[in-house]
Amino acid sequence: MSENPYQPIDSEIIDIIDESPTIKTFVVVTNGPFKFETGQFVELTLPGEGEAPFTPSSSPNDTEKMEISIMNAGRVTNLLHKCGKGQKVGIRGPFGNGYPIEDFVGKDVYIVGGGVGLAPIRSLFLTLVERAKDFKSIVCRYGARTPEDFIYKKTLHGKWQKIDGVDIKLTVDKANGDWKGNVGVVTTILKGDDVNIKNAVAVVCGPPIMMKFATLKLLEFGFADEQIYLSMEKNMSCGFGKCGHCMIGKYYVCKDGPVFTYDQIKKYPKIWD
Amino acid sequence: METVFTTDLKPLLDAVSQQMELYIPKKSGEFYVFIKYDPASGQTIEFNNIRACTPLKDFLFPVRELAAVFPEAAEAEEVKPFAVFGLKDCDLRALDVLDKVFIEKDFRDPFYVKRRENMFIIASDCFEPAGSCFCNVMDGKPFADKGFDLNISQVEGGFIVEIGSEKGDEFVKKHSNIFKNLPENALDERKKNRTETKKQLAEQNAEMKFDCPVREIFDSSEDSEVYDIEAKTCVECQACTRICPTCHCFYLYDTKQKDYFSKMKMWDSCMRQAYAAVAGGANPNKILGDRIKHRLMHKFVYFLDRYGINMCVGCGRCVDAEAGEVDIREIMKKLYQELKDRDSKLTKVSK
Repeated sequence: MSENPYQPIDSEIIDIIDESPTIKTFVVVTNGPFKFETGQFVELTLPGEGEAPFTPSSSPNDTEKMEISIMNAGRVTNLLHKCGKGQKVGIRGPFGNGYPIEDFVGKDVYIVGGGVGLAPIRSLFLTLVERAKDFKSIVCRYGARTPEDFIYKKTLHGKWQKIDGVDIKLTVDKANGDWKGNVGVVTTILKGDDVNIKNAVAVVCGPPIMMKFATLKLLEFGFADEQIYLSMEKNMSCGFGKCGHCMIGKYYVCKDGPVFTYDQIKKYPKIWD
Repeated sequence: METVFTTDLKPLLDAVSQQMELYIPKKSGEFYVFIKYDPASGQTIEFNNIRACTPLKDFLFPVRELAAVFPEAAEAEEVKPFAVFGLKDCDLRALDVLDKVFIEKDFRDPFYVKRRENMFIIASDCFEPAGSCFCNVMDGKPFADKGFDLNISQVEGGFIVEIGSEKGDEFVKKHSNIFKNLPENALDERKKNRTETKKQLAEQNAEMKFDCPVREIFDSSEDSEVYDIEAKTCVECQACTRICPTCHCFYLYDTKQKDYFSKMKMWDSCMRQAYAAVAGGANPNKILGDRIKHRLMHKFVYFLDRYGINMCVGCGRCVDAEAGEVDIREIMKKLYQELKDRDSKLTKVSK
């Protein structure tokens, strides 16, 4: 951490990819290599306007540039969506803990995602497939509102589907066009025998309501509370557990999370709100 | 600890103010506030018998400060040594809380650390606790025995000055001409005064004699309706959090200046409705009663679990400042009663 933890690192948006009607991926370079662990997040400053937390969607092994997929959801993200290539931004971080990849070794990794929740999951996915042999299987279940709302469409429908040891299934809440896949929320494509629950971990990331019902479903299948890893979205601001906005009980999501096991946070009120 | 004596506070404070900026208590209406001391101005030196209204955090963690300038980082602002006279045991215990937060093994807030290192603490004993003081309930007392550079106790004919640190010791040695040896019986008198004030606190808070740790009262209150009931009398003025010496939430925001950008850090309050809201619109603490609950759970349970000390020091400032009618002591008493009622029901059932 730099001497002043509030000081952003000078960075620049060098490319912007339109992913869906509401989501864009920003390719950001910092002045010098930037290291993070998959699942950790950064605070991205739009100078003079504001700052917001995002989990990079690229692999941590690429330290030259970082990709951040951002949904147009609030004031800062709306302004970011209006930015073009060459926009100067600031980066603080990385903050929090990432996914405990070493604890996943030798197990089935069951990934459940929804909407923009695929962003952190993409980073995790890329990290896992780089060493796919270390895991028994990588099973991914992902839902979007409509076929247009899928992000990373090209790889999601193509390259990723073909990787050995990877099993991906997709669903949409509402079908249109020539969608031939499943229709229904993501929990409708979760099956009790997708993975060997005795030797598996589940990773859930998406909108709060989806995370809630996915978690309930996983528990119903027999997953233990400590086998379910949740990427919590709260109002992370300072990044080091001081400013208070992202508290879940005694935890600061920015410092102790954003990845928690369900076991850690289940006793606290309103975790899904 | 070593003690000396002085008949008059002025020479002592003059000597301090020659070395650094000094803030002293001044009565303003019902309460004391801190003002800058100017030895030449003929200011009256007041001995505050109770804690000042101003929380100590004001000196270390100002309401608003510049946290970062970019793209070119700015030189850090210079902090000059300063002293505060008239701090009480509750203030010093609040300082322990802030130290835990802002000076950790893996994190040091550079702005806080710099001011903290430059602060000279002159504490003093309480004589007349305010009606809202309940430090005794929170394991505090009306006098400090650690955490200060110097501590002043008023006795017949003058003031006992106790040395609490190397900095304090250096000061006393350097200005030995100001100090005298302790008169006989001075320490006995101090002891008597302290015992008397402790007794007074115990009497005024007799209704808050709990047979379990305060943490337990709150930890078991998850389903209590008390918070929602109390919320009906809260006007969301946020004064409780602003004046609280241990509340330390802050808000970061960005500004655009003529030729640079800046990141500002400003006090925030968990009583603010949008405090925990995220961009998508989710907000775990939309309801006022839930915010009051979160605030008190943080004070009495979460902070304790994380740092091992209570985040409430029982200074009672929130009770005095409150524009509505929410009273932390009343909530504590009501929740305790609920806990006892539950316990007795359980006992009946098991019988």
